[in-house]
Amino acid sequence: MERIQILSMMLSLSLILFVMHLGRRRVIKEQYCLLWLLFGVVMLVLSMNTGWLEQLASYARIVYAPSLLFLVGITLSFVLILHLTVVVSKLTERIVLLTQELGLMKHEHELYEKANTR
Amino acid sequence: MTSDSSGICIVIPAFNEEISIPYVIHALLRRYPDFTVLVVNDGSSDLTAEVAAAAGARVVTLPHNLGIGGAVQTGYLYCARKGFKIAVQVDADGQHKPEELAKIIQPIVDGRADMVLGSRFLEKTSYRSTLGRRVGIFILSKLVSLFVRQSVTDPTSGFRAVNRRGIELFARDYSTDYPEVDSLVLLKKHRLRILEVPVEMDRRQAGRSSITPIRSMYYMLKVTLSIMIKSFR
Repeated sequence: MERIQILSMMLSLSLILFVMHLGRRRVIKEQYCLLWLLFGVVMLVLSMNTGWLEQLASYARIVYAPSLLFLVGITLSFVLILHLTVVVSKLTERIVLLTQELGLMKHEHELYEKANTR
Repeated sequence: MTSDSSGICIVIPAFNEEISIPYVIHALLRRYPDFTVLVVNDGSSDLTAEVAAAAGARVVTLPHNLGIGGAVQTGYLYCARKGFKIAVQVDADGQHKPEELAKIIQPIVDGRADMVLGSRFLEKTSYRSTLGRRVGIFILSKLVSLFVRQSVTDPTSGFRAVNRRGIELFARDYSTDYPEVDSLVLLKKHRLRILEVPVEMDRRQAGRSSITPIRSMYYMLKVTLSIMIKSFR
């Protein structure tokens, strides 16, 4: 077993454990917990089953098989980051709406209070 | 409380404009006492809300800073809900002259346009600006003219009036940052009519422009992308 494989196994295993820990402490929501667990499991399986990785690498004509692992990892990371950008955009839009609504309601409330104290 | 008899609301987005805003409000109300003046205080840390209310404006205070687009849209939301027929956007820094207001309102009253844009460049006016800014505005005006298929000379102008259809559209959809240019594309997309009229503008009386040289590159890129996304949506 190559050193890089031991390293990647350890890394994916600790990722899985850390995500489970975060999920248990409710630091991240369940759906994101699931997403990251899936990510970790894929990485772990690929780094354990060197045979699969070698075969996939030979299909893709990659000489050094673990570099396929990096390719998969980086691709998955990009997809995850893109997904997070979508989530952030949605959140931003909602915060703008809430802020506007709050401002308008405070204005109404002040008018109401003024009318009542008169 | 609903719209006043005039049905016209002047929306002033303001972020830390305590020095200039009382003059702006006084000048507007002296000339148009039956208009409603709404100041959208965009999370200012100074006394903008207090001095605006003291000057006779209605004030909506946002709990944190949203940026010019988010603030202006709050004004349109207000106008939409209160049943105003015309919304006029005026800057808080005093560069839009109250005596020019009639020029941008009248075409709406006459039903000749859904939005009227006050332009500094349609006729030779006394307005002066830096070369870089004029070049930027020139490029944007050519780009916008292409996309809305009509000549627009001053797409970044914040001095504008819209009718009820415009109010309802902007209450639903308005860009959060740098909204002036792509709101024109949005209007055209919904088949609303844009009319440009020449107006005089002053240099700003206090405060600084939100567009610094460093940001202008981002401004141009963001606005260009935004125009394209809006027209192909």
